[in-house]
Amino acid sequence: MRNIIKMTRRGFIRAAGLACGYAVLSVNMTKEAMAAALAFVEQRQKHVYDADRNNKLYEYKKSQDNPMITALYDKQDGFLHEGPCGHMSHRLLHTDYIDRSARVKALKAKGYKLAL
Amino acid sequence: MKEMEGVLYQTNAPTGVDPDNIYFVQVDPNKCEACGTCEEVCGTGAIQSINDEGIHAVVNPAACMNCGQCLVNCPYGAIYEGVSYVDQIFEKLKDPNTVVVSMPAPAVRYGLGECFGYPTGTYVGGKMHAALKKLGFDLIYDNEWTADVTIMEEGTELVQRVKEQGKPKARPLPQFTSCCPGWVKFVETFYPDLIPNLSSCKSPIGMLGPLAKTYGSHESHVPAKKMYTVSIMPCIAKKYEGMRPELADSGYHDIDATIDTRELAYMIKKAGIDFKSLPDVKPDRELGESTGGATIFGCSGGVMEAALRLGYEVLSGEKLKDPYIKAVRASSGVKAASVPIPNFGEIQVCVVSGLANTIPILEQVRQGNSPYAFIEVMTCPGGCVNGGGQPLDPDLRASLFKNVMARVNRRYRMRQTV
Repeated sequence: MRNIIKMTRRGFIRAAGLACGYAVLSVNMTKEAMAAALAFVEQRQKHVYDADRNNKLYEYKKSQDNPMITALYDKQDGFLHEGPCGHMSHRLLHTDYIDRSARVKALKAKGYKLAL
Repeated sequence: MKEMEGVLYQTNAPTGVDPDNIYFVQVDPNKCEACGTCEEVCGTGAIQSINDEGIHAVVNPAACMNCGQCLVNCPYGAIYEGVSYVDQIFEKLKDPNTVVVSMPAPAVRYGLGECFGYPTGTYVGGKMHAALKKLGFDLIYDNEWTADVTIMEEGTELVQRVKEQGKPKARPLPQFTSCCPGWVKFVETFYPDLIPNLSSCKSPIGMLGPLAKTYGSHESHVPAKKMYTVSIMPCIAKKYEGMRPELADSGYHDIDATIDTRELAYMIKKAGIDFKSLPDVKPDRELGESTGGATIFGCSGGVMEAALRLGYEVLSGEKLKDPYIKAVRASSGVKAASVPIPNFGEIQVCVVSGLANTIPILEQVRQGNSPYAFIEVMTCPGGCVNGGGQPLDPDLRASLFKNVMARVNRRYRMRQTV
């Protein structure tokens, strides 16, 4: 009994929801609902990998085979004719990062508890 | 405030503001039911209880990686977005002197259809480009093309790093991917000592912005100063990335506006476009044609797989016959793999999604005993297809029962991945 009293609001909602679910629907339907929610992200991923396999949507599978990539890096008249990681690439496509730890350290010094 | 696809947005379009001071997501205290779901899904603890009633809030933008997992998991719709460029984009589309450029990310085309009644995950790439044309976008570029460019740059960087080990001034291994803006800010904020491990490559959109205003300007004969580049993302953190002041290598600010999948769906509906009846349209070829390797960027493991499709051929000197490297595909959590490459040996790689999952892996790197050469990290569990800017899981706010089940399942899945 103590455990029930001590149950958090969240825990209660979870338990009550599950109990209601099983009471209203059959066990099988509950399982189906669980599988459906679990599969939400996987469903989107499946469509991505299906598209990758679909030759009508994506004729080429490897980035280096993309004719518009070959054109970009063409040694004669490509915009990035020095190839990947050349000078122009470094000017336009690469970057430097910034140490942003100071503000989080200040937050922690103020007493905020973060996850790390 | 404007409601778009079930999420509220502040309709300001900040320019010249330091993105570090912006709350890209925040909690409406009047709607918060103190359930704590947001805190459970937050990798940094930025969103936490702020009073005795358990009302939650993002305590400071410095601690928030802007991923929006709190927002898409909130069962009460209590979390709103702080930035929306939608009104400004509508104005620019009407302006005859502005050439508006569309730059949609891979994962957008696997979520957008859900807002128009298609089943979860349906590919609507062709219709998406058609809708963008109909909205009045002048140049239809595709961020998938720069996903291919990213592979060329980042794959080459990886091969360079592998070959320079043991030499003076060698850049360290493992190399970390740098596509995910939540992850990049996470390293900058919590692991600044590991910044040398981050690939120096910008993300695909970080590359398409400057390429649009240089190469694209040349190809389309449109002066860069007339261009207004719109990044369309499954992601809230990309708004932060788009506003980074250092992304101005084209001579202009590279990315003028960033919206997410929900906002694009809103714009299409607002313009009265019948999405389902649209034809399939291809993007402008020069900055638009893409490969299967590019489209899988939207899944956890996708960047890794696409990079290996290049790395295999460069390191072995042989053709990769079967491009589908399923060993690195991950629906959630952490996946390590050892990929055999002829004439080279085994390459050890790791794929991680969910920021909390990165901590043990990063501690290993800090201690210098990480077995991996290349680590892919995505902030959102499962990758960009599950991004904070994607259409909501309809079950999450449906009936009480479905809602509770969805929440239980989501947490169950999170726990499994730790």
